[in-house]
Amino acid sequence: MSSDRVLRLADVLVGYSTRVREGDLVCIDTDPPAAPLVRELWRRILEVGGHPHLRLDVEGAPEVLLREGTDEQMSWVSPVRRAEVEQADVRIAVYADVNTRANSGVDPERQARLERAHDPIRRIHFSRVASGDLRYVVTLYPTQAAAQDADMSLSDYEDFVFRAGLLDRDDPRAEWEALGRAYGLLADRLGRHAEIRVVGDGTDLTFGVEGRTWVASDGRENFPDGEVFTGPVETSVDGTISFSYPSSHAGRRVSGVQLEFRGGEVVRAEAEEGEAFLREMLALDAGARRAGEFAFGLNEALTEFTGHTLFDEKIGGTVHLALGASYPETGGQVQSALHWDLVCDLRNGGEAYADGELIYRDGRFLDAVV
Amino acid sequence: MTDRRIERLAALLVGYSLELREGKVLRIDSLDEGSPLVLAVYGAALRAGALPYTNVSLSGLGETLFQYGSDEQLTYLSPIQWEEVEQLDALVTIWSETNTRAFSRVDPTRHAAYIAAQRKLSNRRWERISSGEMSWCGTLYPTNAHAQEAEMSLAEYEDFVYAACHVHENDPAAHWRAVSSQLKARAAELGGVRELRILGPDTDLRVGVEGRSWLAADGRYNLPDGEVFTSPLETETEGEIRYTFPAVYHGREVEDVRLRFEGGRVVEAEAARGDDYLQSLLEMDAGARVLGEVAFGLNYEIDRFTRNILFDEKIGGTMHLALGSGFPQSGGQNTSGLHWDMICDLRREGEVHADGELIWKDGRFLADPALEVVESRVHG
Repeated sequence: MSSDRVLRLADVLVGYSTRVREGDLVCIDTDPPAAPLVRELWRRILEVGGHPHLRLDVEGAPEVLLREGTDEQMSWVSPVRRAEVEQADVRIAVYADVNTRANSGVDPERQARLERAHDPIRRIHFSRVASGDLRYVVTLYPTQAAAQDADMSLSDYEDFVFRAGLLDRDDPRAEWEALGRAYGLLADRLGRHAEIRVVGDGTDLTFGVEGRTWVASDGRENFPDGEVFTGPVETSVDGTISFSYPSSHAGRRVSGVQLEFRGGEVVRAEAEEGEAFLREMLALDAGARRAGEFAFGLNEALTEFTGHTLFDEKIGGTVHLALGASYPETGGQVQSALHWDLVCDLRNGGEAYADGELIYRDGRFLDAVV
Repeated sequence: MTDRRIERLAALLVGYSLELREGKVLRIDSLDEGSPLVLAVYGAALRAGALPYTNVSLSGLGETLFQYGSDEQLTYLSPIQWEEVEQLDALVTIWSETNTRAFSRVDPTRHAAYIAAQRKLSNRRWERISSGEMSWCGTLYPTNAHAQEAEMSLAEYEDFVYAACHVHENDPAAHWRAVSSQLKARAAELGGVRELRILGPDTDLRVGVEGRSWLAADGRYNLPDGEVFTSPLETETEGEIRYTFPAVYHGREVEDVRLRFEGGRVVEAEAARGDDYLQSLLEMDAGARVLGEVAFGLNYEIDRFTRNILFDEKIGGTMHLALGSGFPQSGGQNTSGLHWDMICDLRREGEVHADGELIWKDGRFLADPALEVVESRVHG
């Protein structure tokens, strides 16, 4: 990305998303291709009085661990990982993959084991975010690998990412604040209902949301953003949902996924591609078969599928359901080492009902709040 | 294709230098440019049953800290760093600069403040290393910046670095084990010497070393390695020395340094270039005018000056005599904020006499050390 774009992105992440203040310990978690963004974040964090700290993954190291690690090595988490999650005031995670399919040949059971090992760290992270002790944002720095997944050139993909973050606008922060207010109204409205039903091609799913909180996601925890999400009542999820887009998780791809829920649990799971991996993830732990999150995607600047969940789940007119852990701030109770978002497009004939009343059709809320 | 030499260097670090065992926690420090070696060390450590993790940084972040950081930010040490220093069993530092002069324009007082803060961490680390709680080794991954300092192409510099580490051949660990016993034997012999007299061009220096321990630098703390060193008696250095190679301190070069010692202290000092810097460093504190180290460079794969102390101080056929702090483990008592290694080339016309007996000429010891004596001492 050109340096002025990198600068604008860093400015929003530090000044708006995580609101870095004097004395904050700020952990940046990323891969080497994001180096230009890291350098700009470093400068911005220093300027506002924070203490930047970098955790940079080395290309290939996770793969060596997955292929060659012993049980002890696979289940070990470095002391510094824990210290970072416990001590940081702010975390900025930046996806910058050089190869989104690097783990395709790895034994899925070993991947599951690695995810389980990091579960305690993930729990600390989730609970500190929910309590407000830790401000966290995840974003993406455009790489060739991500562009390739999106069927785009890198420069087209950079344009796409830049626009999705509203960074082409005069005042991106003001835009996100305005959207946040609108999403907030929608969340309030959804919060008055007890049951949601979603209907679409290959999809008819009902779940309870009584007593749960809908959260408006406005560029503070994800960037770009645009969704309202909650945690369904755990035992209430019933029916079938088909996911429209392939999904990459942990360095491998799954597509054509259909799940059937009974009493809150997945009782049938199929995938056209990557079914063995899907099954391994569902068997990860007790919570992995549950729906920890349900959300409506609301970002109208996102219209096309690009193969990265961070963007796909926010496409205006889609919904997504996450297998695994809930966000504690929604009231959701699912505990799991897994949190895997799968996206369902409702723009062509899809509907949603709240307590039996049609509220959403063809990807839009009828009484348009947003 | 993977450079086999990188794999061998990684195996040497893990198996020989650090002697990593199952369950030991290893941190691998590097800049991103050193990633091929980082990855190789990570794999070798996993295969040894250790618990490795990487600590990789990006070039440019340090400069940004100096440019934008407040005094508080500059000297900040995070709780994460403090926690880490207590948890490590082993540490590898891989130097892999993209620009060796990136800090040239940094305000020296700010640089000093940063180094002083970092020293709190490194002092604690050295405590743990000295007590045997953790091991450390520093090495280098060849980059264009280092090659440029050495006035070589990257390919030439790679050949130079890997030959110096002896990873250009199979089984480098066997080589370093042999070097280790030779150096230890040499150190044992030198331990019986009272005074060294160094003769060379514009050089006639007497250095008292009686009662001091000579130590073998055999690839445990540095790769490459290859020297024997001690800390001289603080009041017994007399005479003159002329350093043939530029003396480099914190990236600044001082050329053609000449020193005259009386009663252990520098009483006259001049340099053809950088004299002001030389004089200011000598004024740093009381210990800065006293020798803290005398050493023989004995790695003959290192045959030229490359402006990197990791290599230069080990050039086969040179001696280095450092101004400033001494080594307590050798019996050295000099303390100073300075430790400035200056290298004297004795390969063409140089002699060293030990208690009046010629032991070294033109960059070589005249006799091999009595290996068998030491071997029997070690094993017996």
